[in-house]
Amino acid sequence: MDVQRYISSGIIESHAAGLVSESEAREVEAAIMQYPEVKAAADAVRVDMERYVQIWAVKPPAGLRKQLMERLNEKEEEVTVPVQEEAVEEEEEPRSLMPQIPVLKMWQYGAAAAILLLIISSIMNFVFVSRIDEYKNKNTKLSEEQEALSVEKNAFSERYQQAQKEMDMMKDPAFKWVKMQGVNKHTGIVATVCWNPQSKETFILAQELPATSEDKQYQLWAIVNGHPIDAGVFELGNMTKSLQKVKPVVNAQVFVVTLEKKGGSITPSLDQMFVAGKVAS
Amino acid sequence: MESAFTYTESELVQGLKAKDQKVFGYLYDRYSPALYGVAMKVLNEESNAGDVLQEVFLKIWRNIDRYDESKGRLFTWMLNITRNTAIDTLRSKAHKMEQKIQVLGDDVHLYTTNLTVHPSVDHLGLSKVLEKLTKEQRVIIDLAYYKGCTQEEISKVLEIPLGTVKTRMRNAIIQLRNLLKIS
Repeated sequence: MDVQRYISSGIIESHAAGLVSESEAREVEAAIMQYPEVKAAADAVRVDMERYVQIWAVKPPAGLRKQLMERLNEKEEEVTVPVQEEAVEEEEEPRSLMPQIPVLKMWQYGAAAAILLLIISSIMNFVFVSRIDEYKNKNTKLSEEQEALSVEKNAFSERYQQAQKEMDMMKDPAFKWVKMQGVNKHTGIVATVCWNPQSKETFILAQELPATSEDKQYQLWAIVNGHPIDAGVFELGNMTKSLQKVKPVVNAQVFVVTLEKKGGSITPSLDQMFVAGKVAS
Repeated sequence: MESAFTYTESELVQGLKAKDQKVFGYLYDRYSPALYGVAMKVLNEESNAGDVLQEVFLKIWRNIDRYDESKGRLFTWMLNITRNTAIDTLRSKAHKMEQKIQVLGDDVHLYTTNLTVHPSVDHLGLSKVLEKLTKEQRVIIDLAYYKGCTQEEISKVLEIPLGTVKTRMRNAIIQLRNLLKIS
């Protein structure tokens, strides 16, 4: 503690003048015990206050002394009750305006009230804690349900958007739908290309292509005057049900699909041609 | 405080503890003006101040065993009892803030008419001390010590920020100390 700063804060003077709160008073008394400088300052201020008080000294009315001395004797004869009552008073205690209830009785009332409050509080705690658990469970359940619904909603919304897109493309007269039938030994399998010669956008719907091994992938080619032009690889599996966007195609007379190594090839392996379809002119 | 009597403070305490009425009489003669002055300043009423003074001396008589010499002087202990008892009486009469202030304003009148000065400070010294303290310095000490006002109340009455109440109190007491030295 910065003792000089503490002394100059005015708390010691305020304490001597009775201006501090109980907690501040305890603080000052502790500081007086701990720091000799604080004690010296406090003593000096106390002397100042006592001298100030002396300035206002007034002789009490003459009859008072006699009256007091008589009361002294009186009270001494009937020692018990009043002395005990007075003994309750402690000059260092904060002044209180409480009615004069005997301390023991007050203590009993206080203790009874405290115990009652404790019991009520415990019951309330129990009730509230079990309610909180209940609410917590409910809340967890609800948020789980909410999450599941949200996932479902997203899935639906995605599917809906996909369907909407397909619908739009079907409605758009600019798109050409080219159905590719199985060739050679692959008769019976089908895939469809959806091509917009104006926007060059191209999609494939891999309706019925046989599954491939991990290291292979189907690749779409656009054939113009006998030259194959890569239109990109596409997936099977879940994607077979929807249109997959592939590379834009500028021109095409025939679309073919071959089976290539994963990632696609630069030139088609024509012996691995699965389906082919002519673009209607 | 100097007196021709021969009791030292510890002799006084011992005498009181032994319920020696002669010692008690001496205590009354020596300290009652100071204590009555406190009661008068707090209550500003002779009849109430007289009752308080009696109560205070009865408390001293009955509770002397509670007095702890290591904690402070007997006079300090008695002053605390007086101040607390008088402020209790003031509060139990439900004096409001405004009345406290009004009472304080009337003090000037009281000081000049009804004051018997204790031998330790002569008339000249007293008036000098009071003149040299500014009104604010006097009021801040009196509101705190004699009326039991809180810092909040003083801040309101004197229209000063709450945070400066303590330092104002320090300045007031430093000024008081300087004046007491001179007188």
